[in-house]
Amino acid sequence: MEQERKIKTIIDCVNVGKVFQTPEGEHEVVRNLNFSAEENEFLVLFGPGQCGKTTIINMIAGFESATTGKMLADGKKIEKPDVSRGVVFQSISLFPWMTAMQNVEYGLKIKGVNKKERQKHAQKYIDLVGLNGFEKSFPVQLSGGMKQRVGIARAYCNEPEVMLMDEPFGALDAQTRYMMQEELQRIWSSEKRTVIFVTNNIEEAIYLADRIIVLTNCPATVKKEYRIDLPRPRDLVSEEFLALRKEITGILDSSQLEG
Amino acid sequence: MNDKVKERLLSVLCAIISIGAFLGLWWWATQKTDLGNLLPNPGTVLKAMGGYITGTVGKCSLIMHTFNSLRRVLIGFCIGSMLGVSLGLLMGRYELAKAIFNPLYRIIRPIPPIAWIPISIIWLGLGEQAKIFLIILAAFANTTLNAMTGSANVDPQVINAARMLGAKEGQIFRTIVIPASVPAIFAGLQVGISCSWASVVAAEMIKAENGLGWIIQAGMDNNNMTQILAGIIMIGIGGFVLTCIMRTIEGVMCRWNKSGR
Amino acid sequence: MMKAKNKKWKYTLISICSVSFVVIVWYLCINVLHLKAETVFPGPLTVVKTFIQKLYTKAPDGATLPVHLISSLKVALLGYFLGVLFGVPVGIMMAWSKWVDRLVRPLFDLIRPVPGLAWIPMFILLFGIGITSKAAVIFLSTAVACIVNSYTGIRQTKEEHLWVGDVFGATNIQKLFRIAVPTALPMIFTGLRVAMGAAWMALVAAELLAASEGLGYMIQQGRYSSKPALVFVGMLMIGIVGLVLDTVLHYLERKVAKGMNAE
Repeated sequence: MEQERKIKTIIDCVNVGKVFQTPEGEHEVVRNLNFSAEENEFLVLFGPGQCGKTTIINMIAGFESATTGKMLADGKKIEKPDVSRGVVFQSISLFPWMTAMQNVEYGLKIKGVNKKERQKHAQKYIDLVGLNGFEKSFPVQLSGGMKQRVGIARAYCNEPEVMLMDEPFGALDAQTRYMMQEELQRIWSSEKRTVIFVTNNIEEAIYLADRIIVLTNCPATVKKEYRIDLPRPRDLVSEEFLALRKEITGILDSSQLEG
Repeated sequence: MNDKVKERLLSVLCAIISIGAFLGLWWWATQKTDLGNLLPNPGTVLKAMGGYITGTVGKCSLIMHTFNSLRRVLIGFCIGSMLGVSLGLLMGRYELAKAIFNPLYRIIRPIPPIAWIPISIIWLGLGEQAKIFLIILAAFANTTLNAMTGSANVDPQVINAARMLGAKEGQIFRTIVIPASVPAIFAGLQVGISCSWASVVAAEMIKAENGLGWIIQAGMDNNNMTQILAGIIMIGIGGFVLTCIMRTIEGVMCRWNKSGR
Repeated sequence: MMKAKNKKWKYTLISICSVSFVVIVWYLCINVLHLKAETVFPGPLTVVKTFIQKLYTKAPDGATLPVHLISSLKVALLGYFLGVLFGVPVGIMMAWSKWVDRLVRPLFDLIRPVPGLAWIPMFILLFGIGITSKAAVIFLSTAVACIVNSYTGIRQTKEEHLWVGDVFGATNIQKLFRIAVPTALPMIFTGLRVAMGAAWMALVAAELLAASEGLGYMIQQGRYSSKPALVFVGMLMIGIVGLVLDTVLHYLERKVAKGMNAE
């Protein structure tokens, strides 16, 4: 306990609730949510179903505000998006009229960094995600996996303190998904950042996480927390891995797994 | 590959047949039926066109008439589309701008630009200004709506992506909203340029000393069907060229929008 | 919830203010400051007065506003329906049959870039200043828009859907009417709306140039007799009728092509 206190908390989520107003009435998607993310930690928010998780990421990013409670970044209330919190979207959402290079360097360009410097910097991250040679390609010319690599490089290039990843591989096929998980694991090891990663895929969660927070479905709230201490890179079929997988799957009752 | 060549040949052949048949029918009708009293045969029209190009119709050659019309269109179109696109982009992005300008725009939009001709003559006289005013209106009315739809429908996630990378509202508008709306803007510009071309012809028909609209109107006044047909052909070519230019620009500007694989 | 509603009210209020502001400035400039003579730029009150008077007086152009309106509508709708009846089937056939496409397209491509109203002088010489020449111009404008959109619509039919037809042993005609035409319906309706706009515009042009009644004729006469208020009334009428026609088509579109846009 003493030891944990010394670790710096980056994101703090205190009693957060979120209610949407719809024509059919109120729709509660997050209820009384409490968790925090520590420096350089790979935190996975794992939960079934569609609702809640993306909203949590949107609130941390500052795209939406909490109905009740508060979201803190470095102890300050999150009110709007900030360069210190990079986001990788499930919808990828690259700027389709920009080349891969222009997408990655966009954040620096906005900041007013001169062309030579920002291209050098962007190139570093393009190389890091393994897109060397595709700098001049437009997003339509890239495959889904390559697009998301650009998305990751774009967020990394701004050197944010925290990376928020909202089911970044959700739209990819299974094969590409495995590959991207490995890639992300490698990137994260070489460029340590705090990562908050949302997924509904248990294997992905255990493969990547330092810590998994299991969420309930609609309204989302913390169900249980796991610390994963398996050595990296992890073996998907090791006994420990499978045991964890069984345990976490077990705590979600079958009704929640649907949807 | 072989199939492609074959299809190409076939369509060229069919084009020759159908256009040949059309010209033949025209020829036959002018020679053998009463229509000959009203309609010149295609040969006469072509010969007359040659004469108009090297010589003059009215005060100048056919080419100069075409240039006069094109000049009016380009001036009016540039001003009108600039106004229309800027206003549309603002209205699509900012509710306040939309609340202020949209009701006024919705009053003006359904009035065809041509219906403005009489009032523009009362206000601005019979000179160049009235015609250019008309084309500004034509371009404006057709481009605003598309630009508005474009900027209102920018993917909110893409805007969020820019926000998380540190873009302020002004930067978002400049670097995200405008380029994302380009395909929609061009859809409006395409309609705008054809409508402007039609409007300039109409304006010149009502009152002008030169231009393609004048040619066909003067042809009607002098009962000269050959001149009318020559004018129509030139109007068609002009419209075609303008559309092609717009398409080419669109192709360059929207390269990213088509899969280049 | 309350917030959103308040916002909506706020913007509606701003819209009303903006329109009223323009009308007041218009009134002030013309009727109070007299920046322009009313013979050049009529004030708002004059326009309203002229509109009401025109409902029953025949001066200066020989007919009341409703008579002009009906005359315009008659010509426009006649040419429009003929154009639709011709254009939609031709567009569909061009898209469905390669041979029709090969033979008709070259001719169509020749005619397409010519704006409908450029044919006015020719048709007037051929058919005189009657209803025929105007209807012919509208017919052409309508047909072009209908052909383009029906063609594009049919071409959007997915090959997979036609294969489904093949699997169930549909004949060529069945595939056309059961699969391709329903697919094209939204585009065909777009064509109908574009065509209506083009037809209305061509009609106004024709009436401005050569007519003895109709809204276009009325505003032209307003100009000759220096009654800009009448020109205003005519323009507004043209705008309103155009809007009504478009709204009707839009309504029909939603009724007929229900659920087609969801794709």
